[in-house]
Amino acid sequence: MGRRASWLGALVAAVTGAVLVYAASAALNPYLLSIIAFVGINVILAVSLNITNGFTGLFSLGHPAFMTIGGYVTAILILSPARKSHLLPDLPSWIAHRQWPFLASLLAGGLVATLVAVIVGFPVLRLRGHYLAVATLGLIFIIQGLAINLDGYTRGALGLNGLPELTNLWWIYGWMLLTLYVCWKLKHSSLGRTMLAIRENELAAACLGVRITRTRILAFALGAFFAGVAGGLWAHLVTLVTPSSFSFLFAFQLVVMVVLGGSGSITGAALAAAALTVATEALHPVEEALNLFGASQLLLAVAVLLVLIYRPKGLFGMAEPDLLAWIGKSPGRQPTHTGLKRQTEV
Amino acid sequence: MKTILAKVMAAAVGLLAVAPAAEAADPIKIVALYNLSAGGLASIDGPSLNGAKLKAKEINDAGGLLGGRTIEVTAIDTKNDLKDAATGAKRAVSMDGIVAGVGHSDTTFALASAPLFQDKGLPFVTSGATSPDLPDMVGGEMFLACFGDDVQAHAMAEYAYKTLGVHNIVIWTDNAMDYTKGLSKYFQDRFTQLGGKVLLNDIYMTDDKDFSALVSRLKANPDAQAVFASSGPDTAGIIIKQIREAGIKLPILGGDGYDTDLVSTVPGPDLSDDVYFTTHAYVGLDTGVANTFRTSYQKAYGNPPENAFAALGYDALGLVADAIKRAGSTDPAAVTKALNATTAYPAVTGDIAFKNGSRVPSKPVAIMYVDHAKVNLKSTVTP
Repeated sequence: MGRRASWLGALVAAVTGAVLVYAASAALNPYLLSIIAFVGINVILAVSLNITNGFTGLFSLGHPAFMTIGGYVTAILILSPARKSHLLPDLPSWIAHRQWPFLASLLAGGLVATLVAVIVGFPVLRLRGHYLAVATLGLIFIIQGLAINLDGYTRGALGLNGLPELTNLWWIYGWMLLTLYVCWKLKHSSLGRTMLAIRENELAAACLGVRITRTRILAFALGAFFAGVAGGLWAHLVTLVTPSSFSFLFAFQLVVMVVLGGSGSITGAALAAAALTVATEALHPVEEALNLFGASQLLLAVAVLLVLIYRPKGLFGMAEPDLLAWIGKSPGRQPTHTGLKRQTEV
Repeated sequence: MKTILAKVMAAAVGLLAVAPAAEAADPIKIVALYNLSAGGLASIDGPSLNGAKLKAKEINDAGGLLGGRTIEVTAIDTKNDLKDAATGAKRAVSMDGIVAGVGHSDTTFALASAPLFQDKGLPFVTSGATSPDLPDMVGGEMFLACFGDDVQAHAMAEYAYKTLGVHNIVIWTDNAMDYTKGLSKYFQDRFTQLGGKVLLNDIYMTDDKDFSALVSRLKANPDAQAVFASSGPDTAGIIIKQIREAGIKLPILGGDGYDTDLVSTVPGPDLSDDVYFTTHAYVGLDTGVANTFRTSYQKAYGNPPENAFAALGYDALGLVADAIKRAGSTDPAAVTKALNATTAYPAVTGDIAFKNGSRVPSKPVAIMYVDHAKVNLKSTVTP
């Protein structure tokens, strides 16, 4: 019964979300809409980063690199042939003369990012320890360097601008739901359990027959796919992509979202992503008024320190608190309790 | 997105439909996009916005347009960040009753915001983004109030070769700006065409602070008679400082990216010397509009115009206002049509005409000389 109830709850939540998206698209001004859009994209990014950093216990900083790849691939595929010949003279003709639809371009962006993740992950993920952090940090700069120097394919440091404004709230909402669904299913599947086993004790997991490298690469590649798609969405929301659009600082912000929300908690990562995005936007006017540019970064760092000191496992730890049950909590406390319990026993 | 478009169109149609009496009350809305709070571009974008606001105030004081409607300039700060330029433009085009956009002194920024105006069918007049390819890259709603980089680079190449007698040159290019890349290309084309020789093409990035590697490669070319450093306002002062600190006395040449006080203040009076740059003519022009502009700017802001970009901002807004007046309406499509039909708008920086479907005016170029941090006019070249 519990399973059916949670399905029903998820469905109700998805439909409510869709109604809210519809209402927001019709009523809100574009500035507020763009904040909501960034919230959605950051939720996709934080939740997908959670697959590596939360479930599998790997420390990846690679999301900005995958976003850059996804953003460029998507943008290059969508640009009209007339502009391509003007801006990107070195493209092979099979790309230069064709214009792909948005969905196919997004998927292509995600898949190229996945491919890069597999290539990078194959050697690095065989090693123990924090090699992945260093490798992905390097990857950010390698991709940035490539984007700057492959002039004929990427327009160099100038980036691609004037991209069509294709991303709207519906696209973001759809991809966000897909990311949440995939991560949720993953966490509660046997593959997800092997990831958690690797995170808890690698040696014990290997003894039980878990193929460590393969599982790690899978986790890393899956996260990279969603990051690539999010990069494509971002580029066609902001209407440009440059080599410096996604920096190391952005990787830091995403890691903060995962750590604050609780490594391994999908709900936590999503909520932290939404809260932090809104908070940074809300702090902009304060920064401007006090002439303290960068103060929001400072507050963010302090918040991380506090959480690490007082709640080292993040706000939710590994748990997926039953938010739907919380909302309708008052008399029916019993089901909430069991629901919570079922999900904390991971 | 569709609803916004519908709203804009509804607003435009609505404005046309209402009686003239009701129209008189509504201000004419024009958005100005500039980098105001960060980066070297703020030193030329700030004066541009001042110029645009001054022109709007003058028109309003003189009774407004279309039977008493005032012009309302909404400034949006794009914070020296391309993302803010794009989102700022997005905010601008979704405002109710917006007629046109003006702004930007840099091609890369214009390329980030102007396409959004193009998509919504709103004219965008850039005051100082000088790439002559802009109208081709953006579309039919894109207009330049300034000359193109080809004109200023050719003027400088000719001045260097013929007047300064420079036959061997080293070119530095900021590889992270559309403006600097184009400027170097046009300069090199004309300079080699004249018979000059480019000894070395060196590149750097806008973020660079240390030019010692470029300076030592420059020193390794003892035959060089000058260096053409194609730079935006961010690096112009730093480049002059580091070349002079290395003891190199060669003349330094540049484009309108040098028309900022950073060229004098960053190197200081001892090092900021023997620099030539091209900019938009107004200093040397003794026309009625130029003189009026100088005195009214002084009166409004308490100082003379900081650089030619103040005049360009004034001209960009004036050009739009002139088109609205000739169109007799605030319908963006009619304004675009009127802009295209501009034959002789008397601008401070020289008359503006869009001839033969071109949306880049042909205007005089001023060649300036920096002598111990003092900027003087050397000559004015009319193409």
